[in-house]
Amino acid sequence: MTLPKYYHLDKEKIIIDSNLNSFFSIKDVIKYKSLLANLAKRDFLVRYKQASIGILWALIKPLINIIIFGYIASKISTGHMNALSFLNVAVGMLVWQLFSSVFGQVSGSIVENANLFAKVYFPKIVIPISSILVCLIDFLISCIILIVMFIIADQTIHWQILLAPLFIVLAVINGFGIGLFFATLFVKYRDVRFVIPVVIQFGMYASPVIFSTSFYLERLPVSLHWLYCLNPMVGAIDGFKYCLLGGDAIYNMTYFILSIGISFLFLFIGIRYFYKFERNFVDYI
Amino acid sequence: MSNDTIIKVEGLSKKYILNKLAAEKSDLLVKNLLSSLRGLSQKKQTEEFYALKDVSFEIKQGDRVGIIGRNGAGKSTLLKILSRITPPTSGRIEYTGRMASLLEVGTGFHPDLSGRENIYLNGSILGMPKHEIDRKFDEIVAFAEVEKFLDTPVKRYSSGMYVRLAFAVAAHLDSDILIVDEVLAVGDAAFQKKCLGKMEDASQNSGKTILFVSHNMGQISTLCNKGILLNKGKVEREGNLQEIISQYFNSGSSEEVTCFKYDSQSDKEYYIKQIRILNNRKEECKNFAHNESISLEIEVHQNTKLNDVLIGIHFYDMYDKRIFTSQIVLSDKFYDADKHTFLVTVPHSLLTPNTYHFSVGIHIPNIHLIDEKQNVSSLYIYDNGSEFFKYQNVDYGSVFVNCDWKIN
Repeated sequence: MTLPKYYHLDKEKIIIDSNLNSFFSIKDVIKYKSLLANLAKRDFLVRYKQASIGILWALIKPLINIIIFGYIASKISTGHMNALSFLNVAVGMLVWQLFSSVFGQVSGSIVENANLFAKVYFPKIVIPISSILVCLIDFLISCIILIVMFIIADQTIHWQILLAPLFIVLAVINGFGIGLFFATLFVKYRDVRFVIPVVIQFGMYASPVIFSTSFYLERLPVSLHWLYCLNPMVGAIDGFKYCLLGGDAIYNMTYFILSIGISFLFLFIGIRYFYKFERNFVDYI
Repeated sequence: MSNDTIIKVEGLSKKYILNKLAAEKSDLLVKNLLSSLRGLSQKKQTEEFYALKDVSFEIKQGDRVGIIGRNGAGKSTLLKILSRITPPTSGRIEYTGRMASLLEVGTGFHPDLSGRENIYLNGSILGMPKHEIDRKFDEIVAFAEVEKFLDTPVKRYSSGMYVRLAFAVAAHLDSDILIVDEVLAVGDAAFQKKCLGKMEDASQNSGKTILFVSHNMGQISTLCNKGILLNKGKVEREGNLQEIISQYFNSGSSEEVTCFKYDSQSDKEYYIKQIRILNNRKEECKNFAHNESISLEIEVHQNTKLNDVLIGIHFYDMYDKRIFTSQIVLSDKFYDADKHTFLVTVPHSLLTPNTYHFSVGIHIPNIHLIDEKQNVSSLYIYDNGSEFFKYQNVDYGSVFVNCDWKIN
């Protein structure tokens, strides 16, 4: 065997130590972009390959919700059926469903893919990131509903629509941040599985999905308004509603910004908590 | 690190806390919350368990190291720490270059995806960038022999095809260090041989360093050139592979008796006083490599001289089928002494790896059985890299025979 004497001097030297704690690094994710892409592709293929009407399913669920809650909302707020309140519910509902599916997918991703990192090393953050793609595709498909409803309701769109992607990203950030926190809890406590649907269900009623923020705040004592705005989805949903429908979706700028700030705080906490236990996941599972 | 050291492990320990109370709680959040409400008065019963304790060794560039040890010796934990799956409790590892670990073949294979899709998925999980998979794709497919089924979901594959495809991806992984954990125990014999060959090529031609864990000593001695023996989380010995394999087989059976003493018997003309089982280094031993000779040292006493007395040994397989008999005339050896020690040696590479037992008898043929020790002891023969090592669980007979093959 003839090897150059300093054969591995140019190679990366890796140190495994008991007290090295890793934290999120974009470099790691880029290094494993091929894995990221393939995991996302797997989720996508598995989702849409077998179910030949997979795309239809992505439409049916939000459609049913929009019809039911749109009806309720128009009855309660105006007393009669009204295209605009349906549209309002539709816009809120789609963003909410994007959030809840990201949240659900990310929370479950670590436990569901435990067989991968129990056998091969890679930065585990790749798994929850890759699970977002399917949610985004579902969201884009369900946007067909919005387009159709806009045409039926004969609504015009404004320049603000250009800002809409920002709020889509914000909804994803919310789902990802809170999802990471739950994903870590899930590794340690398996009954988190049952907590997640409860959080989603409750969260929907605590967010301006069916009713507007003004509807909620008018009914809450002023001293509790700040509490309502601790909900990070208030900013994402109101922002998205503003972009698509304009008008007075953003009830109070301070609260709106507060809510967006909370989104990033949750993202930070989620990542922190995830990385606190990330190295030891295998020992818990 | 000296220039040719590629892996350096220093004082590596891995502690697991067996927390009886916590183990009970850890599954349920609600239960956990409730029990913390109940107060902290309950003391946790913790028990520490060291899967690895203060393990240090160095591996040089191009070495093929077999890691040997009984169940629970810490082999898998060591591999898991080396491959960064789980962190060590203390200690440190330094290595240079790209490490690929095959603790399992087909990690991440999804039954609903096609062979092609799974090659890309599995390859990327193992850390291959897309262009590398693209480049090796045809080679992988050819190695796995699944050309026709590339676009079939792998759930429709036979288990053999599945394993071949899974291994093919892994075998084409470019790395400086390859860690393999018994994954070769799957697949048919021919494919196993192909895999071993592929790994050997990799090591010899490109200087790849291999760490290999297996319970099949045949595989280890074929593939590896060095060994590390782990016992209860510690390195018991490292270095020469053959010595380590024989120590491995003998360490567990050290309490086993290899020397059999019998009472003196004045009513018999001849009697057997003692039997010892020895290896070719004259050490007492019960586990033999297939290419190691087995010696029986038999001490015989004479009370009364008789003519035409023979002493013989019988070897039996585990089904009590007699494999062979060997004997010599005993009586003409006793000219002057009334006791003698006979050393009978069973040639190496005769018995195939298995469990055998033997009997010793003194008799006058067809007339009189003078003394007999039935079923004296069991002997174990392990495969040390014979040509049949890959048929580990297949009965290919009790003896190795070097037949003459010719083409006419």
